[in-house]
Amino acid sequence: MVAFTVNNRPADVAVDPDKPLLWVLREDLQVLGPKYGCGVAQCGACRVLIDGVSTPSCMVPVGSIAGASVITVEGLADEDGSLSFVQRAWIEEQVPQCGFCQPGFLIAVTELLQQNPDPSDDEIDAAITNICRCGTYPRIRRAIHRAAELARD
Amino acid sequence: MPKILSRRTFLMTGAALGGTALVAAVGGIGYLATVDVDGLHGGSVEGESATLNAFVVLHSDGSVVINVPRTEMGQGIHTGLAMVVAEEMDLPFDERIRVEFPTEAHPAYSTWFNVLQVRPEEASGPVVWVGRRVLGLLGFISTGASSSTMSLWHPMRVAGASARQMLIAAAAARLDVPSTELVTRDGFVLHESSGRSLFYGELAREAAALTPPADPVLKPAADWQVIGTRQARVDLPAKVRGTPIFGMDVTVPDMIYATIRHAPVFGARVLRIVNEAHVRALPGVLDVTIVNDSHVAVVGGSWWQAEQAAWQLEVEWAGTADDAISSADLSRGLRASLNVSEPYEVHAEGDAGAVIEANAASTIEAVYEVPFVAHACMEPINATVIVREDGSAEAWVPSQGPLNIRVGVGTGTGWAGIEPIAITCNVTMNGGAFGRRSDQDVIAQAAFLAARHRGRAVKLIWPREEDVSRGLFRSHAAARLRAALGPNGLPIAYDALGASQSIIQSVASRNLPFNPGPDGDRLTVEGLDKQHYAISARRVRSQNVPSHVPIGLWRSNGYSFNTFFTESFIDECALAADADPLAYRQAMLRDSPRHRAVLDRVAEMADWGAPMTPGRGRGIAIEECYRSVVAQVAEVTVAEDGAVKVDRIFCAVDVGLVINPDQVIAQMEGGALFGVTSAMMSEITVQNGSVMQTNFHDFPMQRLADAPEVIVEIVESDLPPGGAGEPGIVPTAAAIANAIFAATGRRLRSLPLAVTETIGERRTRSVLKS
Repeated sequence: MVAFTVNNRPADVAVDPDKPLLWVLREDLQVLGPKYGCGVAQCGACRVLIDGVSTPSCMVPVGSIAGASVITVEGLADEDGSLSFVQRAWIEEQVPQCGFCQPGFLIAVTELLQQNPDPSDDEIDAAITNICRCGTYPRIRRAIHRAAELARD
Repeated sequence: MPKILSRRTFLMTGAALGGTALVAAVGGIGYLATVDVDGLHGGSVEGESATLNAFVVLHSDGSVVINVPRTEMGQGIHTGLAMVVAEEMDLPFDERIRVEFPTEAHPAYSTWFNVLQVRPEEASGPVVWVGRRVLGLLGFISTGASSSTMSLWHPMRVAGASARQMLIAAAAARLDVPSTELVTRDGFVLHESSGRSLFYGELAREAAALTPPADPVLKPAADWQVIGTRQARVDLPAKVRGTPIFGMDVTVPDMIYATIRHAPVFGARVLRIVNEAHVRALPGVLDVTIVNDSHVAVVGGSWWQAEQAAWQLEVEWAGTADDAISSADLSRGLRASLNVSEPYEVHAEGDAGAVIEANAASTIEAVYEVPFVAHACMEPINATVIVREDGSAEAWVPSQGPLNIRVGVGTGTGWAGIEPIAITCNVTMNGGAFGRRSDQDVIAQAAFLAARHRGRAVKLIWPREEDVSRGLFRSHAAARLRAALGPNGLPIAYDALGASQSIIQSVASRNLPFNPGPDGDRLTVEGLDKQHYAISARRVRSQNVPSHVPIGLWRSNGYSFNTFFTESFIDECALAADADPLAYRQAMLRDSPRHRAVLDRVAEMADWGAPMTPGRGRGIAIEECYRSVVAQVAEVTVAEDGAVKVDRIFCAVDVGLVINPDQVIAQMEGGALFGVTSAMMSEITVQNGSVMQTNFHDFPMQRLADAPEVIVEIVESDLPPGGAGEPGIVPTAAAIANAIFAATGRRLRSLPLAVTETIGERRTRSVLKS
């Protein structure tokens, strides 16, 4: 048994402790926001916050996160459903195309803005390494700056 | 402009004719006449929902479901086509509109436009009459060739206008006033003289019972309030919450999971699974099986467990004639074919060969080449299929069309000796597609597994490694281009010889019951003819150079390489003529005002001609494709050590009438960035018959740090809509190659233009080949 929380709700799973968190979320907990894209921590579609740190969940054995708090894209909005600043900025800039990679971007950017409320373009480049095949990067960059503004206002 | 017979058109017309003969034999032309190709009839009421026609379902609470039978794969088509209906119905474009991909294959949803190449608003004559009915009956519904707006914007306008008139008629009856006294606004029918108004929702059931108008009046363009305005996409609220259901996310009770291994050398058959008993005994494994003699699947209670087990598979594959083939061999074959006599002649105006022979001293010649590339959609290839105990089947697939699902399920269940009595096809959200999801491969595999596990849904997911190294690819290709320059330096003859594996032949071999053969495959030669340039003698020829590598449709197909070849070559001609690349193109576009306007716009946007610092360069390219015209200027910086960065891309595009300008811009941005990745980084190489790349570490993609700024402007146009999904990628590689030449004096004639070096975790840089 491994116990942790997912989006502030307790999760207890009886699975192989080597099973990656991504697949525990998707198969055992029906949390489908984090996506499988590459399985080797290259693309970032599977990113979740583990105790606040953006982490590719495809390479995290679930046995290693006992007691941790996991936040997925589904957990970014408030309990009442209102969107986070990052999500709002994503809508305002109309960022997603196919949208498959976006859960990972939203997680990575959420952590970035918690660490650095007003990142420069260079700081954004250094922090955000996810892959988007549709090429939404120009809008992602604009949306990160927009989210920083929304959080300030 | 001379017409080049599209091989795809030809083969699809062949299918249509075959189908026609069949239908005529069974029911005759009278039966065809009963096919509802407009989808306006058959209104019905079920509970609180009233179906007004095949596209519009109105609920009593005023919410509306708009059926959009085209796959949403990122291009924003669900929004664009819903906007058209909302415009004609006078519906506010807000959250009360929900878009669904219908499971019914109504004939009105058919993509007959792609086959017949006639716009619905211009459709007339017996061939179109028969063709749209036969293709409608076949359920030919497909999302591709940048055609969704062209194929449906008019039919959906008519559907919206028809629904609006039915609502007015219902209100006229309810209020006992002539319908001419009624107007519609924001989801209400208003009787202004009496101040009474009726909500659409409360009229829905009565409207659905009425006969739709024979020829609904369309709103004049001058009155449009939605079409042409920036509207937020209907699918994005779910996409930022992480809740849309991609194929990967489909959940069916009691579902099991499967993974697969394909042969390392394409076409190799399975001789035996060496350690089948061992793999079957691994945790969670339910089944290990050979699929269609060629692949090995592992089925489990969890995909992760199945995948873990599959890594332990030892499979003995049969030897093939291609076991020693390498990329170098394939490249030599391509180039050698350029010297073989008697290529297939695609197109000829004047006697280009003779003019070039007579002007050998002023003839420019160059050979170009591109490698195989993968699609690498972010959502790995997958399909979920169930074959129920009652013999019916249902499939949920991120697919570019339900006909693919239907045929794929039929194929796969056929491998297991089962013929389903009915197949329900659900098209899910697609995590990217780029042509890859017009293939049936994964669907047939999943259906075979589902037939083995009757009563349980099987979700088959290819691991990323199978997608990159064992899937389908954009063809490798080469071309030899020649031009004789006249006294003013402009071409007086142009001769293009393309060498490539035929795209359509490879696609047809897997997906169609017949094969048209490679000659004249339009998909492979598109982009070679440069019709918009004024040249009096022109010849386009092609050589089919088969290989064992399976080729799939790939965003913009032949344009993805031929425009790189031709627009690089035009710069080489300009250099020989000592002309500026922009001025040279302007002179050649003297008879093409639409193209000239787009070219001039992008030059103005990029401040063409403004001086640049040493090591920087600017390049331009233009193409007409999918009934749109697109031009780009790329700016690059090349460091002394060869490190190259694409700084900015300017893009001007004439896509005809624009429904949602923000999404046209998004497609140009995304297309250009897709083009930058393929120009700078993408290469699939073959050794010993097998692909060497496996995942994103060795088939890299642009990331945020590498992505150039993309500046897009839409050129005003009075033409009907053209395509927007693919044009954005088309000029990018040539614009970058031309910019690198401007920066360095080095003419790079093959892709990728650079070598990708890893400089840290998920960090790369691009360095010009030395």
